[in-house]
Amino acid sequence: MIEVSCRVRRGDFLLELDTRLAHRATGIFGRSGAGKTSLLHALAGLIPVDALRLVIDGEAVVDTRTGLDSPPHRRRLGMVFQDHRLFPHLSIDANLRFGMAQQGPGPGIDEVVELLDIGNLLKRRPDQCSGGEGQRVAMGRALLSAPRMLLLDEPLASLDRGLKRQILPYLRRIRDHYDLPILMISHDLAELLALTDELLLLDRGAIAGQGPLPQLATDSDTLELLHDCGLVFALPGRVARRDPDGLAWIRPDGASERELACGDCPAEPGDRVEMVLRPEDLVLARPPVETPLSLTNRLPGRVVSVTRSSARCLVTLDCGLSAPVLAEVTERAVRDLSLTPSQPVVALCKAQAMQVRRIGTSTESSTDRRNR
Amino acid sequence: MTSLLSPAEWSALWLSATVALWASAVLVVPGIALGWLLARCQFPGKLLVDALVHLPLVLTPVVVGYLLLLLVGRNGWLSPVLGDLGLRLAFSYPGAVLAAAVVALPLVVRSVRTAIELVDPGLEEAAAVLGAGPLRRFWKITLPLALPGIVAGLVLGYARSLGEFGATITLAGNIAGQTRTLPIAIYTAIQVPGGETEALRLTGLSILLSLIALATSEWLLRRLRDRVRHERGGR
Repeated sequence: MIEVSCRVRRGDFLLELDTRLAHRATGIFGRSGAGKTSLLHALAGLIPVDALRLVIDGEAVVDTRTGLDSPPHRRRLGMVFQDHRLFPHLSIDANLRFGMAQQGPGPGIDEVVELLDIGNLLKRRPDQCSGGEGQRVAMGRALLSAPRMLLLDEPLASLDRGLKRQILPYLRRIRDHYDLPILMISHDLAELLALTDELLLLDRGAIAGQGPLPQLATDSDTLELLHDCGLVFALPGRVARRDPDGLAWIRPDGASERELACGDCPAEPGDRVEMVLRPEDLVLARPPVETPLSLTNRLPGRVVSVTRSSARCLVTLDCGLSAPVLAEVTERAVRDLSLTPSQPVVALCKAQAMQVRRIGTSTESSTDRRNR
Repeated sequence: MTSLLSPAEWSALWLSATVALWASAVLVVPGIALGWLLARCQFPGKLLVDALVHLPLVLTPVVVGYLLLLLVGRNGWLSPVLGDLGLRLAFSYPGAVLAAAVVALPLVVRSVRTAIELVDPGLEEAAAVLGAGPLRRFWKITLPLALPGIVAGLVLGYARSLGEFGATITLAGNIAGQTRTLPIAIYTAIQVPGGETEALRLTGLSILLSLIALATSEWLLRRLRDRVRHERGGR
């Protein structure tokens, strides 16, 4: 349990929030300028605050009300910045060791090096590392400082899409390997969904919503904000096979029979993946869908709820999968199809509209990660 | 070498080189401290400190020398303290060092300040979050990254000290073998009828010394840059 409360004033901007985070990994999401980075920097002690309280599992890290206001180097928080901020005059090895031994026992360097696959970089200088390698070293450096909590400030923002795909699995490994609370900022919802269990939606310096995505998406107040920031949802699954047409067929978790086709899949059969979809890419139809269609993917299910905001209607569907399916339609479609709770519908989606992200290899499960 | 130069020329050359070296050495700690203070700290009176540091740059050196004489001279404001320490600054070798150091101070501080300002504060932040306190951050991050600029500043201060004339002659006088550095020796030679040849020889020596200093600094800087590998692009 993390308790966070803070008040930061910067010119006209006021960041004020007070909340509890029940999950180990929380994603902070919102428009740029919502106060995401200010929150993280306030927690780390990098900007002046009016008031700040951070309690991790009952242990107060900072509490300005009681006069506990330790400087950044005594807070024992690990931070990964958007730019890796590796020390350019030190070798990767020296960078990794920089925060070690200062702050008590923590994970061993060999373990972290192996976990992040950075053994071949140790002798190099930061300017001899690629962006993705640098970010992995920065994660390792933060882990080795034996932090009580990990703050990730857009750790993937400076990387292109291909590199993000490569880094995300490492972040997941860190999350699964260490019992470490994680607070991650991103402007990319798909990234947050891949790593975090709960979202903290910030808007103009205040919490606009908090909870898992399906819950935020069914709230008309937060729906519009989510949409502005690029609403997506994720369906976890496993790659079943590849067919001669180049399509990858993915079996979503929860569905025993059904497979979804994906046109651009970076994973191999057996790999754990996450399919990321935009609700506006889904088409809803009343069964039976008979007409020949170019839409490859068909998911039968039932309407759970319809959320209306000023500009859109978001239909939440239960398709028997481990996560709800979200589809954005017009008010007119809701009327014409009479979309009401428990109404059977079919969700249709193009194979090309699915973005697939590998979140683990076929040989890797959460238990044998330690042995890799 | 001694046969090429007269004892007086040799003495002037030696004095110039060592006075400038001492002046640079004396400036290392206050130069870095003031440069860091001006680059990284906000405090009341910062403008005043900045102005005082720069005063020797805009004042004519004779005025600087005279002010120093008022301060540390035989009956100067600080003379009781200096007397207790057994330090005689007016008309002495240490006085020549002091004059050269004060005149070179603004150049050193400016270079150090710029060098430290160019160190990404984000790196210091990262070090802080990793558990490094202010002192460790300075020693491990700021200082090594700013080192080429700091050395360049000290070399600049050394070069300025080599050419120092006004403040030196005012505070330390023109004492052969003690305070008669190359510029003062040239001045003295010109005052003497028929001293043009001597002045020309000393001028040649001055140029030679400056070129050696320049070449040394260039070599030093190149080695430092290789070591530090500043990474300014891409971030």
